[in-house]
Amino acid sequence: MENLDYARLQMAFTLGFHIIFACIGMVMPFFMVVSHHKWLKTRNPIYLKLTKAWLKGVAIFFATGAVSGTALSFELGMLWPEFMKHAGPIFGMPFSLEGAAFFVEAIALGFYLYGWKKLPEKFHWFTGIIVGVAGVASGILVVSANGWMNAPSGFDYVNGEFLNIDPVEALLNPAWFTQALHMTLAAFVATGFAVAGVHALQIFRGKNVELHTKAFKIAIVFGAVAAFLQPLSGDLSAKDVAERQPVKLAAMEAHYETQKGAPLYIGGIVDEENREVSHKIEIPGALSFLAFGDFDAEVKGLNDFPDDELPPVPIVHYAFQLMVGLGTLLMLAGLIYFISLKKKNWLKNRKFWLLFIIAAPLGFIALEAGWVVTEVGRQPWIIHQVMRTEDAVTPMPGMKYSFFFYLFLYTILGITVTWLMNRQMKALNKEE
Amino acid sequence: MLYVVLFFLLFSLLLYVLLGGADFGAGIVELFSSRENRKVTRDTIYRVMGPVWEANHIWLIILLVILWVGFPGYFNVMMIYLHIPLVLVLLGITIRGVAFVFRHYDAVLDSSQIWYNRLFRVGSLVTPVFLGMSFASLISGKIIITNDYSNYGFYDLFMEPWLHLFGLLIGLFYAALCAFLAANYLIAETEGDARKLYRKKSIMYTVVLVVLGFALIVYGYFADFIFIEDFIHNPVSLISVGISGLLLIPLWRSIKRGSRIWSRYLAGLQGVLIMFAAIIAHFPYIIITSEEELSLLENLAPEATIDNLALMLLIGGFVILPGLFHLMKSFNLIKVLDKSKP
Repeated sequence: MENLDYARLQMAFTLGFHIIFACIGMVMPFFMVVSHHKWLKTRNPIYLKLTKAWLKGVAIFFATGAVSGTALSFELGMLWPEFMKHAGPIFGMPFSLEGAAFFVEAIALGFYLYGWKKLPEKFHWFTGIIVGVAGVASGILVVSANGWMNAPSGFDYVNGEFLNIDPVEALLNPAWFTQALHMTLAAFVATGFAVAGVHALQIFRGKNVELHTKAFKIAIVFGAVAAFLQPLSGDLSAKDVAERQPVKLAAMEAHYETQKGAPLYIGGIVDEENREVSHKIEIPGALSFLAFGDFDAEVKGLNDFPDDELPPVPIVHYAFQLMVGLGTLLMLAGLIYFISLKKKNWLKNRKFWLLFIIAAPLGFIALEAGWVVTEVGRQPWIIHQVMRTEDAVTPMPGMKYSFFFYLFLYTILGITVTWLMNRQMKALNKEE
Repeated sequence: MLYVVLFFLLFSLLLYVLLGGADFGAGIVELFSSRENRKVTRDTIYRVMGPVWEANHIWLIILLVILWVGFPGYFNVMMIYLHIPLVLVLLGITIRGVAFVFRHYDAVLDSSQIWYNRLFRVGSLVTPVFLGMSFASLISGKIIITNDYSNYGFYDLFMEPWLHLFGLLIGLFYAALCAFLAANYLIAETEGDARKLYRKKSIMYTVVLVVLGFALIVYGYFADFIFIEDFIHNPVSLISVGISGLLLIPLWRSIKRGSRIWSRYLAGLQGVLIMFAAIIAHFPYIIITSEEELSLLENLAPEATIDNLALMLLIGGFVILPGLFHLMKSFNLIKVLDKSKP
C-alpha cells in the first residue's frame, strides 16, 4: 500500500474513533438532564444517583472526544495539507462557529460537573441543557463542513484557482441540511440504543433493576423515536445524493447499467470485474422511485461514468446495505419497546432484555457504515469534482508508521474507556 | 477587519500559552514534588483547574482554526514540516488530558491511580517541551520549503528543523515558564504549609526560568540564529523582557507579603511580556526558512474570508468571554464562601 492509502486509513480510523465519543458526548447530556429533571421533580434519590453516574460517564467521554477532536483538527492539515490550504479559507466558517459552540459546551460542562450544591438548582440543571444543545450545534456545524466536500459551493473554480469566495454560501451548501439531519438523528439512535443496551444487560443479570430500568426507559425513548424519524431523513438524503452525486448513488446500489424504472437491489455480491451483482433480491422500479419519486425515472449507472471517477463500488454497496439493514432492525426494536408500554408483562421476559442487549452496538455500526458510504462514496475526490484525494495528501513519507501509531494509541484508549465504564457500572451496582 | 483577526490570533495564543501553560505547569510542579506534596498538589489542581481545564485547552483549537482559515499558506507550511513534533504534542495532550479525567472520575480508587498520575505528570512535562520545539522550528531557519521532495532526505526535511539543541532549550524554557505560572497560581489557592511549599517552588522555577532564558539567548547568539540576533536588536522585545525581569522584585515582595491576587497577576503579566517579546521580535516574519522569511501578513486568505472570520470571532467572543469569566469567577467566589463556612 502507498502513503496515500495509509493516510486515508488513518483518517478513517481516527474519525471513526472520534465519532463514537463525539456522539455519546453530545447525546448523553440529554439523558442526564431528563434524569436530573425527574430528580428535581420527584426527589426520588434513584434519579439523583443515575444522573451522577451518567455524569461521570459524560465527563470521561467528553474528555476523550475533546482530545481526539483536537488531534483531528490537526490531522486535517497534517494529512491533507493541500486540501486545507485551499479549502480552509472557504469552509472555515462552520469550523470557527464550531470552535465557539465547543467552547460554550466546555464552559457549561464546567458549571455542570462542578456545580452540585454550589449553584442554584435550576440554573445548574439549565447548564446541563446548554451542554447538550451546544454539543448538537457543534455536530451540525462539523457535518456542514463535510457537506461542503460533497457539495462544494461558495467559490468559483477557474484554472485551478479558487476565486470569489463566499463563506456563508459554503456553510449553507446544498448538502448541509440533509447530512446534518441524518447525522443528528443517527447520533440519537446509536447512543440511545447503546446506553439502553448497557442498562438492559444489568437488568438481564438482575442487578439493581429499579435504577437500570429507569435508565433504560430514558435512553430507549430517545433512541426509538429517532429510529422512526431516520428513514424519512434517509429518503431526503437519497434524493439529494441522486441529484448531486449520481455516481455515489449508483455505487451505493451497485447499479451498473443506466436504465429507466431501475430496480432496487437488496444485498447481493458485487463482481467488480464483470460489473454485475449476484445473489441479490430485486425490487422492480424501487430505485427510480426512491431516488426521484417516480417509478419510471432514469437512474444513471456506473458504466456511464469515467473509470477514473468511480469509487470502490463493493465497499460503498456493502456499507450502504449494512446501514439500511441495521437501521431497519433498530426501528423494529423501537416498535417492540413501544408495544411493551401496553404489554407490561414483556418487561419480565428475559428475551425482551436480551433483544436490547444485542441491539446495543448496532446503532454505532450503522452510523460508521453510513460514514463509509459518504466518504468512500465520494472517492476519488476530496472535494467533489474539484480536488482529488491523491493531490491533497501530505508529501511526507512514512504515513504507515503514523497510522500504526494512532491505531495503537486509540486502541489502548478505547479499551481503557470500556474498562472504566465497566468499573463505573460495578461501583454503581455495589452501592445498592 | 484584518486587525480583529490578528488580535484574536494573538489573544488566543497568549491565553493558550498562559492558561493552558499554567495547566501543564501544575502537572510539572506535581512531577517534581516529594511524595507527600504530590497529594496536596493533586487535590489543589483538581479543585482549581478542574472546572476550567477543558476551556483552557480550547484556545488551541481556536488558534488553529484562525490559522487555517485566515492564514492558509502559513498553516500549510506548519502542517507539512512540523508534522512530527506536532504529533508528539498531540500525543502529550491526549495522554495528559485523559489521564486527568481518569484519575478524578474513575469509580474505583486502586493501583491504576499510580498510572494515571504518572501519565498526567510526564505528559504535562513533555507537551510544553514539544510545543516549544515546534515554535523553535518555525524560527530556526532550518525549514526547507520545496516541491522537489526526492532531492532531499527525510531527515533534512522533517527532522532537522526541530531536532536541535536550540529547539530543546526553547522547549525547556517554555516548560519552565509553565511551572513558574502554575506555582504562582497555586500560591493563591492554598493555605499554611502548602502555601510555603509553593512559595519555595515559585522561587525555584523563577531561577530555572531565568537561567534557561539566559542560556537560550547566549547559545542562540553564538550559534548564529537570526531570530536571537533580531531579538537582541529589537527595542520593543528588550523593553518587554526588561520589564518582565524588573517585575520579579514586586512579585517576590507580594509573595512574601502573602498577597494572593498580586502574585498571580504579576506572574501572568510576566508571562504575557515574555511571549509578547518573542512574537514581536520578528513580527510579521514568524516563519524563517533556510532561504527566506515568510510574512504572516503576506499569506492571507481572501478578503471575504478574513471579514467573515473576524465577524465570527467577534460574535463568538461576545458569547464565550462573559461565560468564561463567569465560570472562573463563580468557582473563585464559591471557594471563598466555602471557607467562610467551617
